[in-house]
Amino acid sequence: MKEQFSRQCFLGADSEQLFASLRAGIVGLGGGGSHIAQQLAHLGVGHFALFDPDVMEMPNLNRTVGATHQDAVAGLPKVRIAERLITGVNPSAVVWPIQKPWQQDFLALRACDVVFGCLDGFTLRAQLEESCRRALIPLIDIGMDVHEASPYSIAGQMVSSMPGGPCFRCVQLFKEADLNEEAARYGAAGENPQVIWPNGILASTAIGFFVQLFTPWCDADNANAFIGYDGNRLGLEHDVRLAHAPRCGHFKGIADLGDPFWQAEL
Amino acid sequence: MNIHFKIPTALLDEVLADLKRPHPFAAERLGFLAGKCCSSREGLLLIAHSYLVTPDDWYIDDNAYGCVFGPQAIRAAMQVCLDKKACMFHVHLHDHEGIPTFSRADLRESANFIPDFFNVRPEIPHGAVVLSSDKAVGLCWYPSREKPMRINKFSGVGFPMRHVGRL
Repeated sequence: MKEQFSRQCFLGADSEQLFASLRAGIVGLGGGGSHIAQQLAHLGVGHFALFDPDVMEMPNLNRTVGATHQDAVAGLPKVRIAERLITGVNPSAVVWPIQKPWQQDFLALRACDVVFGCLDGFTLRAQLEESCRRALIPLIDIGMDVHEASPYSIAGQMVSSMPGGPCFRCVQLFKEADLNEEAARYGAAGENPQVIWPNGILASTAIGFFVQLFTPWCDADNANAFIGYDGNRLGLEHDVRLAHAPRCGHFKGIADLGDPFWQAEL
Repeated sequence: MNIHFKIPTALLDEVLADLKRPHPFAAERLGFLAGKCCSSREGLLLIAHSYLVTPDDWYIDDNAYGCVFGPQAIRAAMQVCLDKKACMFHVHLHDHEGIPTFSRADLRESANFIPDFFNVRPEIPHGAVVLSSDKAVGLCWYPSREKPMRINKFSGVGFPMRHVGRL
């Protein structure tokens, strides 16, 4: 075992080799995804597929881990910032910095062993979930919002979407009405308030779930996770919606798998 | 081309439980996995969805082989292949720990009947998988290629992930 991982040997004798063999997809390298990238690099994950079309801007600097003031001035692509962060910790990591929406390189997404969703918006989450379900890829999603409420409230969540388990619709992370409302607002994105510390808490929770998913260090039964974050009371707790989620009827058939238009290269 | 075979761990447990059941005269049991496929940047993903149990009376009592399936088994598998446009993978168990291997008989017989699935669905891959209690090997017959390719990686997908790399 390499000396840099000696303190995490309790994760399992094969954990170093296992992490080194995994490819993690991170969709969105902003406030949440940058934390994810950092922690996965420190754990020793060996392969990364990073998806984000955006470049660094000054308003992002308050929360993008690994970004510098110069990056914001220069408008460096967020995937390049994350790539630099990852390889600075783990020089042997193989990184695919994909400066486009994942829908434009879904072949790279399908090559991932796990995907972290760090996106804004319900529609994009729904699309990412479907893509991951089709390729039988565990999806770990994080998100947070700052709401105007006497005067402000911070709320967020970490939710897993595991093949065979309840999906985002089952746990009511969003409903069809939310998707329809979002579609009606298309183009009026605005600038939502965002801060660093809730992203850090939710990213760390996501990483904790990821490690339980892939290593045998803990026998807690967290097969499906919906952890809510109350940023005002500074607390994490299991969301009751998971306990009441029905057996998933949204992704159940063979037609929900693979590529229905797949053809062999002859 | 890298070929990655994925199976939900719940389905894998179902398959192992069935294949471990004793049979009145066959030394081994067999079944078929039905699934779908898609491409990835690294090659081909094969994704198992469901398992066809071979009923006891669909086996043929043949002392020369560990197990021989009758025409009903292949007919049922062909029907699923056609109806669901499913990639079909013959599966059986070598009940030990560690990486299993295809026997000469496995290889010979698989080469005889797996390509028959192309008569039903020529446009998608089919193949054969041998499980042990904790590992797997497999061969994939790819459309238009005469010889099968080795499946490079198996993943049991669930909580926790099962032996990523090889089952």
